[in-house]
Amino acid sequence: MSFNLAIRNVKKSYRDYAIYFLTITFGVCIFYVFNSIESQQSMMALSENEAIALKQLNRIMGGVSVFISVIFGFLILYANRFLLKRRKKELGIYMTLGMERRDISKILTMETILVGILSLFTGLILGILLSQGLAVVTAKLFMAKLTTFSFIFSFSALMKATIYFGIAFGLVTVFNACTIGRHKLIDLIYAEHKNEKFKSPHLVLSVCLFILSVACLVIAYWMILKYGFSRSDRFWISISLGCVGTFLFFFSLSGFFLKLISQSKRIYLKNLNMFVLRQINSKINTTYVSLTLVCLMLFVTICAFSSGIGTANAITQELDDKLPYDASYSIEIRDQKSSEHTQDFDIHLIAGFEEQGVNFERFAKQYVEVKYYDPKVTFHLMYEGEDFDYMPWAIRLSDYNALMDMQGKPALTLDDDEVIINSNLAVIEEMEESLKSEIAHHSEILINDRTYQTDLQSLQQNQLRMTGFSLITLIVPDTAIDGMLITSNDLNINYIAETELYEEIAMAAFINADFTKVIEDTGEDGFSISYETKIKAFEGSRISSALVAYLSIYIGIVFLIIAAAVLAITQLSEASDNAHRYGLLRKIGTDQKMIHKALFTQIFVYFGVPLFLAIVHSVIGIFVANDLVKELGRLDMGKDSIITAVIIFVVYGSYFIATYLGSKNIVNRKMI
Amino acid sequence: MDGILQAQHIIKYYGNKNNITKALRGISFDVNAGEYVGIMGASGSGKTTLLNCISTIDTVTSGRIFIGGKDITTLKQNELSKFRRDELGFIFQDFNLLDTLTAYENIALALTIQKINPTEIDCKVKEVAEILGVTDVLSKYPTQISGGEKQRVASARAIITNPSLVLADEPTGALDSKSARILLVNFQKLVSEINATILMVTHDAYAASYCNRILFIKDGEIFNELFKGDNTRKEFFNRIIEVVSLLGGDDHDVI
Ligand SMILES: Nc1ncnc2c1ncn2[C@@H]1O[C@H](COP(=O)(O)OP(=O)(O)O)[C@@H](O)[C@H]1O
Ligand SMILES: [Mg+2]
Repeated sequence: MSFNLAIRNVKKSYRDYAIYFLTITFGVCIFYVFNSIESQQSMMALSENEAIALKQLNRIMGGVSVFISVIFGFLILYANRFLLKRRKKELGIYMTLGMERRDISKILTMETILVGILSLFTGLILGILLSQGLAVVTAKLFMAKLTTFSFIFSFSALMKATIYFGIAFGLVTVFNACTIGRHKLIDLIYAEHKNEKFKSPHLVLSVCLFILSVACLVIAYWMILKYGFSRSDRFWISISLGCVGTFLFFFSLSGFFLKLISQSKRIYLKNLNMFVLRQINSKINTTYVSLTLVCLMLFVTICAFSSGIGTANAITQELDDKLPYDASYSIEIRDQKSSEHTQDFDIHLIAGFEEQGVNFERFAKQYVEVKYYDPKVTFHLMYEGEDFDYMPWAIRLSDYNALMDMQGKPALTLDDDEVIINSNLAVIEEMEESLKSEIAHHSEILINDRTYQTDLQSLQQNQLRMTGFSLITLIVPDTAIDGMLITSNDLNINYIAETELYEEIAMAAFINADFTKVIEDTGEDGFSISYETKIKAFEGSRISSALVAYLSIYIGIVFLIIAAAVLAITQLSEASDNAHRYGLLRKIGTDQKMIHKALFTQIFVYFGVPLFLAIVHSVIGIFVANDLVKELGRLDMGKDSIITAVIIFVVYGSYFIATYLGSKNIVNRKMI
Repeated sequence: MDGILQAQHIIKYYGNKNNITKALRGISFDVNAGEYVGIMGASGSGKTTLLNCISTIDTVTSGRIFIGGKDITTLKQNELSKFRRDELGFIFQDFNLLDTLTAYENIALALTIQKINPTEIDCKVKEVAEILGVTDVLSKYPTQISGGEKQRVASARAIITNPSLVLADEPTGALDSKSARILLVNFQKLVSEINATILMVTHDAYAASYCNRILFIKDGEIFNELFKGDNTRKEFFNRIIEVVSLLGGDDHDVI
């Protein structure tokens, strides 16, 4: 009997259940999608490393999922609480009809389980469909070929989603039972009648606060645009101002517009404008906090989507410039003290490798060994508003030209008393500027008691090394090196062709290389040996970009769902509180179309304004983030914003429609 | 005089086959333009039901209701709201003012939903507020004014559209006697000055004595009808009391 009643109830109040249903469905769907990444492997050709990386990615997502499932647990409880509030009267009536609390609890539990199963099922199906699409994205991020189209299904993700959400339903059921047990019949029946006291608004105050909020936001925007992330104190001031501004914005917005529009009787007294404005204003006391949170969450969502996807693209795209050779092996002096002894440090990498049986001709088209030295020169640069001293390395002109030859770039010539500066500082504008002004002021550089000339025109901006950083390098005449201490010995290789085969040979050589004896012979211990290949670096970057992209999309979507659900639930509770107002409108003869339009406008404003402000915030935020990731390359905003827009449109839009239909239902139910 | 309202054998049953409440069992009466008609009866006799049927908030089970010559029982959903908006004015026992709107806006609301040109609205609101003596409270919210003022604001909202019929369900029910008298005098003024037609449900004999005619309802049927004629209000009041005691002295609700 009670099962049939439960089914009937769910059918009858499906509009009330819509938000609950949507939240669980979306939750389960993304939960499944992001936990099923590992199983996408079957669809693409991945190297061993990439396969391991994918596994790791899956593990990280699993960890994040625990956190996310807790958030969803709370969200489901919140949605459930609203649902219960809506239905208290109905439950009270069951009680007056003589039904026992236990039976009512049973009905409620059955309803919860019914909706839970339905949404779990829908969510899983959606998730399974979407994960097929995600495989294409993964393949793209990993730059792997999609081998065969095979249907991807992850049993572990399915189990995980079922168990995690099962626990959440369990909590909801316990919560419901407690609520029903605790409430008195009278409270249940009269639950609807608790009307909040209306407070008359302070419109003048609103206008002042609105102006203040706009001022806060403008200052916040200005500060962050001016200083970006470079000054952390300014950054936090700007963020705080932004939050305060957002809060005040929602607090005062409706009052401000009410005041503004009521100045024009023509607009104010048109149709139900006056009613809608008052309606929004009257509820602002209870909603501005949630609107602020919603706006900030949407802001996080948009930024996470855009920067996440963008950064992932940027990492992959711009890596090419950072990897000028196919492979590189270097021995670098780590400990400055030990360099005291490097006068006779004399390792020959090529000779050493050949001694150990490596035949470069088998895989290398070009292989060049170069040495870097310490010219004992200091540049005074600026970083984050503070002075700091930078000691560049030096390289022989002939070595430099050999590297340029490998990179397919033109060679340089030097006069005997000339040095040319090569810098990789472009990524950090502030440093670049300070270097330029340093050069402009001191065109003379003292090396080994000899004066050399340099100038701004000759400044080079090439990537010389692959195994480590060298922000500034002095290109000096070959003779100038005499007497300088070695800082690093690099071997750079270009393969005959960029294939896995040559990569394997090179890697084998690097891994098996043994220079410890040579190093010991020279009596040194402060060395670091490192090697890097282009293929390996790309792999690594793909993994990190996939991680960045997935984490940001995952978290972005979760925030989006939370924002939309919170908004929807506040709106629906409001609709039930306001049903009598709409009922009165109908009684005095307002036609249905007008009422629906007023309701639509009201909900549209509530959904639209936070989104609007979040978009404005995001445009500024992305602008700043763009500056930050410039070192990784430009963000490809166009395509990313379309993806972002589509995701927001689908999720936010669904909640908007569900809210509108739900409110319409609540409002229409009440007439007499 | 023109017949504004003709009710022909209205029947209204609530519930289903097993559990039926016969709220109205065939009520017929006519109201002419400019009449001030009171409807009296014990609690549960069907007064509110009758008013809800006439106001199209509820539908009749059978019977016909003509207002301004139009059979309202056959109107469709959107014709109904248009009809309520343009032809009727409502005054409820609990005022039913929107707490979020000022008195001014509450009155203006009746016009804005008629999509009247906003420039006309302002002077009309002020005009009606003047008649009902609420000019001073126009900028206040319902929570800031007294019950009597609220009911006069509600009355202003009801008549501002020049409805052919004003329906009032126990308008004095929540008022103290002084506020009630002011309101009733105002209703009389509306009838005599702007030729409004008022149908007022009340179970208060004093309130009823301001009417020109009283219909008494008992158990969903018309039990009696009184005309004021040339009586003074005092005399009419006494005649009403007589009928009320006939109706059933056991019902305390009546007095
Ligand atoms: N919505 C309803 N459903 C069922 N019965 C109703 C409903 N409204 C009123 N009734 C019944 O109809 C009868 C007349 O009610 P009503 O018109 O409200 O009386 P009055 O206003 O004269 O006190 C009463 O017996 C009441 O119980
Ligand atoms: Mg009644």
